Amino acid sequence: MSDKVTTSEGQACLQGLMRVWFDFERQLSRVPILQRLERDRFTDEDYRRLLCHLRQQVIEGARWITRGASSFERDFADVRSMVIEHAREEHRDYEMLEADYVAAGGERQTIVHAERNAGSEALHAFMMHRAGQPNPVDLIGAMWIIEGLGHKMADDWARRIDAALGGDGDATRFMRYHGANDDAHLDKLYALLDRVCRGEAERRAILRTARVVARLYALQLEEIDHEPA
Amino acid sequence: MSVYITSTGHHLPGEPVDNDRIEEVLGLVHGKPSRLKRRILQSNGIRTRHYAIDAEHRTTVSNGEMAALAGRDCLDRGYLPDARLDMLSVATSQGDLVLPGFGSMVQAELGLPSLELHTSHGICSSSMMALKAAYTAIRAGEHGNALVVASELASRLFKASRFEAAGATPDFDAEFLRWMLSDGAGALLLENRPRGLSLRIDWIRGVSHADAFPVCMSVGRPNGQGRHPSWQDYPTYAEAEADGALLIRQDVRLLDHLVKLGVDGLLGLIDEGRVRVDEVDHLLCHYSSHHFRGQIHDMLTQAGAAIPEEKWYTNLYTRGNTGCASLFIMLDEFRRTRELAEGETLLCFVPESGRFNNVYMHLTVVKEATS
Repeated sequence: MSDKVTTSEGQACLQGLMRVWFDFERQLSRVPILQRLERDRFTDEDYRRLLCHLRQQVIEGARWITRGASSFERDFADVRSMVIEHAREEHRDYEMLEADYVAAGGERQTIVHAERNAGSEALHAFMMHRAGQPNPVDLIGAMWIIEGLGHKMADDWARRIDAALGGDGDATRFMRYHGANDDAHLDKLYALLDRVCRGEAERRAILRTARVVARLYALQLEEIDHEPA
Repeated sequence: MSVYITSTGHHLPGEPVDNDRIEEVLGLVHGKPSRLKRRILQSNGIRTRHYAIDAEHRTTVSNGEMAALAGRDCLDRGYLPDARLDMLSVATSQGDLVLPGFGSMVQAELGLPSLELHTSHGICSSSMMALKAAYTAIRAGEHGNALVVASELASRLFKASRFEAAGATPDFDAEFLRWMLSDGAGALLLENRPRGLSLRIDWIRGVSHADAFPVCMSVGRPNGQGRHPSWQDYPTYAEAEADGALLIRQDVRLLDHLVKLGVDGLLGLIDEGRVRVDEVDHLLCHYSSHHFRGQIHDMLTQAGAAIPEEKWYTNLYTRGNTGCASLFIMLDEFRRTRELAEGETLLCFVPESGRFNNVYMHLTVVKEATS
């Protein structure tokens, strides 16, 4: 695994990112809806609410990635290409998520017209802001958290949700597909770390953005039990 | 004030029991061989272990007696007469009695006169908590020495009759530990001065994450469909047992968290400057199963903080997983079988899955100055 990140700055950054991730996982473990999932108290309604709230950030995700791509100047043309490719692969993921919502018994109109919760608002605003900065290398920190979550959904959440709802995977396609695809994405992230993390300034920026995104993502999930679906 | 481990001891009851003979001792549940046994043993890599019960399920040596035998072994190898001991600090997962504290029983068994007593309660990390209590007492200048003992007699929980009392074939979570845990005790003598080649305790650090995760290993709780949350809530203990509330359970789905938290804690100690990976000469890690060794190593490698495999030491495969006693038994055998050189460093790590408590310790080999 270590061969994926080869520079010492990249390694130091990866250590920091792993710690941010572990802390994020502990934050997730304290989120009420995820505690219900972990403790076999998860209902159909919980799943629909989860999808409804996730969708508002997933559908906006493509915006900050593409905005971020356009903020990379000529010296980062290779990075720009990688970010564009990433955006192209994911920009219609929300359609799969909406199909899952319908498969789980929801009305398409409900999820399409739902509003962003307070956490989604904050996460979206922060990402759009960061993506507009010149050469926003710290977006790797955001991608680290969001890709990691893709893995967690595929490896853990989807299985638990199917078990809780007695489903056969028909309503968890977004989570499963997203995770399966994210292996290759993580490899690209490792390569990006080596490419852009060249000193302490970059490392600090990447770790800070990862930390903020982790906190706001957790907030988005906490809000599920605060706001009406 | 520095604190040194100046002697160590252990007790492993009876003859080693190999994998083919486990069920001869623990018994066949409902008369049938286990279908999980082979898979779990393959994964944990344990080849022999010791039990303090015989094939007729008679206890051959009690938990208190085992602890005392390990303590005596340690004192016999040290230079301190019993009467000069200041403190006894003891750990176990389950004593022979629910009350009083296990430490009282061990003190009586050892016949140690008037000293300060501490008992710590928990699972694998309870020995490290007992060790830390003794270490801080000496560091604070409160005491000049302390005997620390950790002992486990898990096999009594694994008798076939226990599972049969809980009804049908045991579920995976209830059977898992039957092929993991066994019996034994270890002891360390701490002093505020070295004796010959000693191990200086540089620091001990625990990090608990109970607030973030559910219970992962327990006794006293039935599985999901149980009628009461705790064994003590049932009208009679017989009903609690029939409901499976007295079986020892491991929620194996949660074990991945333990590996991540262990790595996270180590990365934190690296950040703090307490651990420099390239300066660690020996890693003594109480992983419960060979399976986790690979996971921990892979994750540390990913973080660029790998400790080379040749520096890992364990006797898990021959002495078994003796819960809280494991690290002490490991440290004792390590000291007896290795030629240690002044200045060598040991990083010890005990992860506990109970509700996710990890304890780390750093030791340096020092030599008593000769006058």
